[in-house]
Amino acid sequence: MSSSKKNPGWAGNTGEYELTEADIRGEAFVGKRPLEGGHPSASATYPYMLATKDPEAPLFEGPYLERFEKILTRYPKKRAALLPTLSLAQEIRGYVSPETMDEVASLLELSSAYVRGVTTFYTMYNKQPVGKYLIQVCTNISCNLCGAEDVLKAFLKETGTALGEISLDGNFSVIEAECLAGCGFPTCVQINSKYFENVESQDVGELLRTLVAELSMDSVKEKGEE
Amino acid sequence: MGYPYSHPSEVSIISKHFGDPGARTLDGWMKNGGYDGLKKALSMSPGEVIEIVKNSGLRGRGGAGFPTGLKWSFMPKDSGKPHYLLCNADESEPGTFKDRELIRWTPHQLIEGCIIGAYAIGAEQVYIYCRGEFFEANQVLGKAVEDAYEAGILGENIFGSGSTIELTVHAGAGAYICGEETGLMNSLEGKRGEPRIKPPFPAAAGVFGLPTTINNVETLSAIPHIVREGSDWYRQWGTEKSPGTKLFCVSGHVERPGNYELPLGFPLRELIEDVCGGIKDKKNLKAVIPGGSSVPILSKEQVESCLLSYEGVQEAGSMLGCASVIVMDENTDIVHQVTRMASFYAHESCGQCTPCREGTAWVTNILKKMEAGQGKEEDLETLIELTDQMTGTTICVLSDSVAAPVQSSIEHFRGEYQKLLNNGGGHG
Ligand SMILES: Cc1cc2nc3c(=O)[nH]c(=O)nc-3n(C[C@H](O)[C@H](O)[C@H](O)COP(=O)(O)O)c2cc1C
Ligand code: SF4
Ligand code: FES
Repeated sequence: MSSSKKNPGWAGNTGEYELTEADIRGEAFVGKRPLEGGHPSASATYPYMLATKDPEAPLFEGPYLERFEKILTRYPKKRAALLPTLSLAQEIRGYVSPETMDEVASLLELSSAYVRGVTTFYTMYNKQPVGKYLIQVCTNISCNLCGAEDVLKAFLKETGTALGEISLDGNFSVIEAECLAGCGFPTCVQINSKYFENVESQDVGELLRTLVAELSMDSVKEKGEE
Repeated sequence: MGYPYSHPSEVSIISKHFGDPGARTLDGWMKNGGYDGLKKALSMSPGEVIEIVKNSGLRGRGGAGFPTGLKWSFMPKDSGKPHYLLCNADESEPGTFKDRELIRWTPHQLIEGCIIGAYAIGAEQVYIYCRGEFFEANQVLGKAVEDAYEAGILGENIFGSGSTIELTVHAGAGAYICGEETGLMNSLEGKRGEPRIKPPFPAAAGVFGLPTTINNVETLSAIPHIVREGSDWYRQWGTEKSPGTKLFCVSGHVERPGNYELPLGFPLRELIEDVCGGIKDKKNLKAVIPGGSSVPILSKEQVESCLLSYEGVQEAGSMLGCASVIVMDENTDIVHQVTRMASFYAHESCGQCTPCREGTAWVTNILKKMEAGQGKEEDLETLIELTDQMTGTTICVLSDSVAAPVQSSIEHFRGEYQKLLNNGGGHG
């Protein structure tokens, strides 16, 4: 990811344009997510995946409750709120456990079995806990032609995990993904909510070190705020 | 303008602002003539808007190429029921990466197209079903929608016209099949994204059982320009049957992969050799998939004369699909790539139809065995027979999509399969 033609994630720093994330997303928007979920009619939720999650956290409280209530206003039928509600639950807890499914079911007046059937249909709901960083490597055709299988191997090697397992330090899970719609920038890798594009196998070590550094910076920040 | 590279052969209409963060904001979009198309549409009757789109000849960019104006005209006129417009932003056909660029660079272009579309078909509610993996695009779009609401472009009494149109961005949760229009509707209703049997067609009973039109992101992004400039203007590019411009997503073994906006009918060879700078590392071409993984593979000979219009690619022996051009060089292991595509379909089959659920798994297993050197002479015929039985026998065309790469690769590259059979899997 050293060449200036390459894109190390988001739409920023891409190609010849040398854009920063601030250019792309507007100054006021960088690094922020409206916790309250934004305009009532605008967006189901701003989905966001966090590196630090708490499986024990209460489901919808405070700003999350507000977001849940906003989601409900956006559909003519309660059931239609199921997908965004599950996404919100996963944002809080990191995965959707059977207990979480039950809680969501009762909130939306659906049966647990129904919610389970829907949850298991979609790949983005983690049915079990994952590492702080969920690394999804696309190995579909366009990426595959350009060496995606080597990139996947490099991620497994550098994190010391097998496919789908959590690394010993709890930081990483690596899985294979289907096409992420970044085929012109192979290999396309999604790590939590960010896309990393043009990843080559030799970039993997450095990329992982950056992520670990980010984690320790986050924990310093959290301590500072307390 | 292409992204991340551009080329003088391009005609930049919907991609004009790719790479230009200035056009992403509401102010920036307004400065560039944004929402003029909407203002013009609101000054006309819905029927007149549909007429312009019909005359422009715009065809759906989601893969099937169905004429957009005609689709809009199927919506009931005075049904007295709520109508819905759905925007299909679930982009997940392997090789396709245009809608994400359209959303993240020009969200207001899409919103404008959605509002015009909703006005034309009498819908008060639009849902943009945005692929769940697109966290960034979801946020950019969400922000743009908020700004549009604040400026009175969405909500009640748009631009003082008396029309009310609400728009909600709905994030998906990961399932290729939710790109299929009725699967998308089920998913939006909070169900498993399983396609529905048609009829009833969406215009009669779509999402929430009400009249619905569904259009792709690229289709709707072209609408503001067509309405503003007129249908003759749009028809100056492209062919009689495929008017206008189209984003071509080029990936694989080329020097400059990326999105390029070109007039339909552009020669495939020129796209690869000139626009994309030729095959990577000066290698030779082996094959091209011209429209995403669900369409037949073209051999080098077929590529020579292929023109990139809906009818041109069909003449050459494949389909334009979403114009996702996947280029493979001489060293490509075709059997391995076909196996990877088959395993994709096996993973994504929703499982409702037996030929698809069982067939995708069988095809993948046979191919994997062949790759591992355990293939049998009769396997090739079995593959052809199996995929024949998977075609035209199911609820949606995901099942048919497997036949395309399997049968075309056996036709053009039988030798590579044969080598595996002879050598007992001589590679990897
Ligand atoms: C399996 C399958 C997957 C599809 N995926 C998409 C998709 O990701 N995006 C899309 O716009 N259309 C997709 N389509 C096509 C849609 O069903 C539909 O034709 C299209 O959204 C209509 O919009 P258009 O008329 O503007 O092209 C898919 C179709 C099938 C059968
Ligand atoms: S063809 Fe396959 S994906 Fe389509 S409805 Fe049937 S089982 Fe589902
Ligand atoms: S094939 Fe990897 S992102 Fe599309």
